[in-house]
Amino acid sequence: MLDFKKINKNKTMKIACVIPAYNEEEKISQTIEQVKNLVDLVVVVDDNSQDRTREVLNKIQEEKIKKIYHPINLGQGAALQTGNEYCLRQNFDIIVHFDADGQFLASDIKKMIEPLIEESYDLVIGSRFMGIESNIPKFKKKIIMPIAKIFNNIFFGIKTSDPQNGFRAMTKEAILKIKIENDRMAHCTEILAKAFKYKLKIKEVPIKVIYHEFGQKFSGGLKIIKDLFLKKISG
Amino acid sequence: MIQQIIAGLVIVFFLLKLLKQWKKKTISLNEFVFWLLFWIFALLIVIFIKQVDKIVIGLGFSSSAINLAFYIAVLFLFYLIFKMRLKIVKIEKNITDLARKISLKD
Repeated sequence: MLDFKKINKNKTMKIACVIPAYNEEEKISQTIEQVKNLVDLVVVVDDNSQDRTREVLNKIQEEKIKKIYHPINLGQGAALQTGNEYCLRQNFDIIVHFDADGQFLASDIKKMIEPLIEESYDLVIGSRFMGIESNIPKFKKKIIMPIAKIFNNIFFGIKTSDPQNGFRAMTKEAILKIKIENDRMAHCTEILAKAFKYKLKIKEVPIKVIYHEFGQKFSGGLKIIKDLFLKKISG
Repeated sequence: MIQQIIAGLVIVFFLLKLLKQWKKKTISLNEFVFWLLFWIFALLIVIFIKQVDKIVIGLGFSSSAINLAFYIAVLFLFYLIFKMRLKIVKIEKNITDLARKISLKD
């Protein structure tokens, strides 16, 4: 367990980790196991999985693990927002977003949280392009990500090296300002766009991502653009 | 002339369907009035197609009245799709809020 009293001299910060899960029966237990000793509470939001994820989660009976079940499938953005709202109600000071599929390293959580406590940052996001090598598929690295980066910069004023990274840590104050309204995969852009809009203090830290599969495809990127456009015109 | 009769019959069919829906109270008064006016207007265009043709030419359009009616119909349909899409986005938001409330209640 991290000694957060030591990190923050003024008070003990309550830290929660939100893990959205959809059809993650194979990886979810392992991910929870890796994360649970690094935070005060793990909030797993099962987004109405169609596999045995719920069954697996039901077997975990620990006070430090809060399980929330969506009655219907809403999307990753919605699952994160549900987790955020639960953490706000429980008065957590810092909330970490972490993927259920074992892509991220739990050991990186400490360096994601530290800038929030020690340097008063509002939002810390992980970056795959700051020196630490990740096994990113070539097409994704050379084509999809640069296009996404340019798109985010031009249309949303996002100037970060890895705008589509789902590993982030935020303070309670930042969470209160950033309400995720894009239910599906456009939430990464939305969170950063709002963070820049509200002039939050943002820091990027290098993290390692382990790819087990390709992940977001080019068609997924186009769907994100469509979702962002529709959200924009519908107010 | 035959085309006019066919188009007229199609419009009468839709008018009858509309009246049936109104009798069953499945549509609101505003919706009923809107669609009633819409189909009556379409029927008038079909009946007086030659006169409408003259008006259209007089207004400086190069196409015939029936073509113009199609252009307007397509534009109108695009507008309807757009409005429906916005409505769906709002309904989706309500569903999300509701589902979230239920999940956080447990």
